[in-house]
Amino acid sequence: MSGKALSLAAALLSLLFLGIFLAIWHVATVPKAQSQAPVDEYAKLLGKGAKQAEGFPTLAQLGEAAAVQLTDPFYDRGANDKGIGIQLGHSLARVGAGYALAILFAVPLGFLIGMSPLLYRALNPYIQLLKPISPLAWMPIALYTIRDSSISGVFVIFICSVWPMLINTAFGVASVRRDWLNVARTLEVRPLRKAFAVILPAAAPTILTGMRISIGIAWLVIVAAEMLVGGTGIGYFVWNEWNNLNLTNVIFAILVIGVVGMVLDFLIGRLQAAVTYVE
Amino acid sequence: MSHDLDEQRILETAVLRALVPQGDRRRKFLRAVGVSSAGAALASFFPLGALTAMAQQKAKPERAELKIGFIPITCATPLIMADPLGFYREQGLKVSLIKTAGWALIRDKMLNKEHDASHFLSPMPLAISMGLGSAQQPMRVMTVQNINGQAITLHVKHKDKRDPKEWKGFRFAVPFDYSMHNFLLRYYVAEHGLDPDTDIQIRVTPPPEMVANLRAGNIDGYLGPDPFNQRAVYDEVGFIHLLSKELWNGHPCCAFGTSEAFIKENPNTFAALFRAVLSAARMAREPRNRPLIAKVISPPNYLNQPETVVEQVLTGKFADGLGNVKNVPDRADFDPFPWQSMAVWILTQMKRWGYVKGDVNYQQIAEQVFLVTDARKYMAELEMKAPASSYARVRIMGKEFDPSEPEKYLASFAVKKAV
Amino acid sequence: MSFLQVQELARRYGATTVFERVSFTIEKGEFVCIIGHSGCGKTTILNILAGLDTASAGTVIMDNREVAGPSLERGVVFQGHALMPWLTAMGNIAFAVRSRWPNWNHIQVQTHCQKFIDMVGLTGAEHKKPAELSGGMKQRVGIARAFAIQPKMLLLDEPFGALDALTRGTIQDELLRICEATRQTVFMITHDVDEAILLADRILLMSNGPGACVAEIVENPLPKPRDRHSIHHDPQYYRVRNHLVDFLVNRSKRYQSGELGNRGQAPISAKIVNLRH
Repeated sequence: MSGKALSLAAALLSLLFLGIFLAIWHVATVPKAQSQAPVDEYAKLLGKGAKQAEGFPTLAQLGEAAAVQLTDPFYDRGANDKGIGIQLGHSLARVGAGYALAILFAVPLGFLIGMSPLLYRALNPYIQLLKPISPLAWMPIALYTIRDSSISGVFVIFICSVWPMLINTAFGVASVRRDWLNVARTLEVRPLRKAFAVILPAAAPTILTGMRISIGIAWLVIVAAEMLVGGTGIGYFVWNEWNNLNLTNVIFAILVIGVVGMVLDFLIGRLQAAVTYVE
Repeated sequence: MSHDLDEQRILETAVLRALVPQGDRRRKFLRAVGVSSAGAALASFFPLGALTAMAQQKAKPERAELKIGFIPITCATPLIMADPLGFYREQGLKVSLIKTAGWALIRDKMLNKEHDASHFLSPMPLAISMGLGSAQQPMRVMTVQNINGQAITLHVKHKDKRDPKEWKGFRFAVPFDYSMHNFLLRYYVAEHGLDPDTDIQIRVTPPPEMVANLRAGNIDGYLGPDPFNQRAVYDEVGFIHLLSKELWNGHPCCAFGTSEAFIKENPNTFAALFRAVLSAARMAREPRNRPLIAKVISPPNYLNQPETVVEQVLTGKFADGLGNVKNVPDRADFDPFPWQSMAVWILTQMKRWGYVKGDVNYQQIAEQVFLVTDARKYMAELEMKAPASSYARVRIMGKEFDPSEPEKYLASFAVKKAV
Repeated sequence: MSFLQVQELARRYGATTVFERVSFTIEKGEFVCIIGHSGCGKTTILNILAGLDTASAGTVIMDNREVAGPSLERGVVFQGHALMPWLTAMGNIAFAVRSRWPNWNHIQVQTHCQKFIDMVGLTGAEHKKPAELSGGMKQRVGIARAFAIQPKMLLLDEPFGALDALTRGTIQDELLRICEATRQTVFMITHDVDEAILLADRILLMSNGPGACVAEIVENPLPKPRDRHSIHHDPQYYRVRNHLVDFLVNRSKRYQSGELGNRGQAPISAKIVNLRH
């Protein structure tokens, strides 16, 4: 199949899957016929006649909730009730800070580790030990020592997203083709120029793969961290709606989280494409 | 005198804002009725005059901008309603009420001074001051936020198991180890012959998750704060087995407090806060104000619950989950007086279940942590009646508690943690 | 004093001796090829000359200075072209040029590079990345890069081994032309006997490893300028060719057993073979 035909076919298939999924959702949540019992005082106290039917929200309800949130995304009705746009802004700011810190730490250290087998062996056990620790476990430690919930959130993003970048940078640097390093040697290239002009571009695709994994982790972590700590952010939004057992808004928030995550991954993906080379 | 009118106006606007949140409708109302007659109509319902007078006597607070943490439950009604109804504002305070994710965080944010004052569970300032379950820091209770207002809620499938003796193996949830809920639940099942540590399971669960856990069948019931008892009924997953007022009528639940350090550094702010919360409590005690209060604290910024659920809790006219409409006006009440005998009771229960070991100087700790003297002072300023004594004998589930004999009381229990 | 002097060079790994007692010289402007079977250590010798490897014994002196490490004075064309795939052809050459003359400005670098791109016949392809170039073109970039730094000596490690016969022929012609024009001193490793006869002034023949040595140094009797299309018409061509092929097929392994040369020991100096009539 030609490139264009393949893209078209893939798009149609995607839409078909979506259609099937939505159809299943609709059928599963069709409201049962409302009982014709009189709406007496007891029933009124249970909110009959006013509230939505029990259970999973219908597509229409989800659409309605989405419309409400998206038409006024920047409202601010108090410290604990802000629009989804503002909440996303807070989350993205935290992610940005934690992720930037992680890059600043991971790339230089990864470089050093990649160039020195001694350092690699010495540090590897600690990396493997710290890598699998969940953000939910870091949070209490961070809160206790850092004593500020916003900075703790940034720290938790940092400590969870630094590992893929660190490991990939080290690996990329260590695997630079011998040939290119020999070329640099015969041309008497000094270490700093070699690092920036040969090793960095050679290792860049691997480094960016690490960065792409890391941004996914960072976005995942911020939602979890904000649910724990509260205050502002998309994670807090989910928690607040969960408190009200408002499943519709929770689902809407999840979709938003997914879309934003997708966009972040796409952006880093473009960066990755820009530094990829064909050998 | 124009100064008076200004302040009065501020209060009126706050109240009017609460009654008619939509700005354009409010303006239409005012235009139709006229500002002063609107003010007069409101004044007949709210003690604006007294409050205005109070507002003038204050010394300037050292810090006007404060952060107060709260958990979105009806126990915190006075400190929450003080925001939309202008009680903080009239004391010259600009308060941000920060909805917090759980009691552990409430504690941590007070310990690391991210919050200036906070909603607490009554036992928490005692525990924190004694260094139990956390780093030690002197915390103080300014007012009790609410009395009664809790309930034991069970899953609808247990509607024929109303006798606690049938609850062997049940799993219950409470909001926190150092909570009245935990102590009352243990007391209740112990009175019916069950050992709460071995015959039932007690888990700590954040209140909003209690309903979800009940629905999922993870727990069989909980002794939790409202509005989550009423919410379980509203969502048709649970029924209200027992109101906490039937265990101990007038039991304390939540408190409003701050750290000793904050009080020392900001005495005027402390005073202003005290007055604000006391004024709110006074308004909250009046049954006729309850529907309005329900309306202003339900929005997403505060409790984020359906208004009818909150209204049922505050007015005491509620559906019980078994098909009956009950009418219990003092289901929840907001008496702010921090009885030191309450502190002593809490301490005896903490010792009973092994949360604290060794000798406890009940009276000393109670008097250090529960600021009765200050409460009396500010209540007097606001012309609120305060009881003469700081200790009271009470009947809890038919058994008398004498705060002057805590050790005897403790020894009188058949069921307690093996030492 | 010869331009390049290699004296008693040896390379050992533990107990194994790859080669030993290797001595030869190269004069300025000379084109020397080295031929031998795989494993005799030809690439190792080249790496030592380039400074990328160190000898276990012996010395290398170029232009009266001992070779102690890699240097811009010794340009290398690697067996795999070793081009950096994220740079264009021009970029690869410019990288080398900037290494040699770091103070040049952008225009100077560009002009210099263009000269060498034209020299290897790649005009028009300079802005392509290596992935867009054929094998032959990539190797030409490698050659241009090595020439562009104008090294005192050029080292080529089987540069045309991976190319097909047609391309090989074309590039051999170009290399021949360039070397004649620039009088570049060259040391080249090759498997191809015909290539050696076409390009080299002298041909070093290495015996089989381990324990290899430079067995013979053959003077190329064919006159310059040589032309690939007519070279085989020269009556001396096949005499030289047979000698070389015979070495590779027969004689190269007999040095190991000691049958040729001193018993069990590498010859003190290689046999110089002059096939002129």
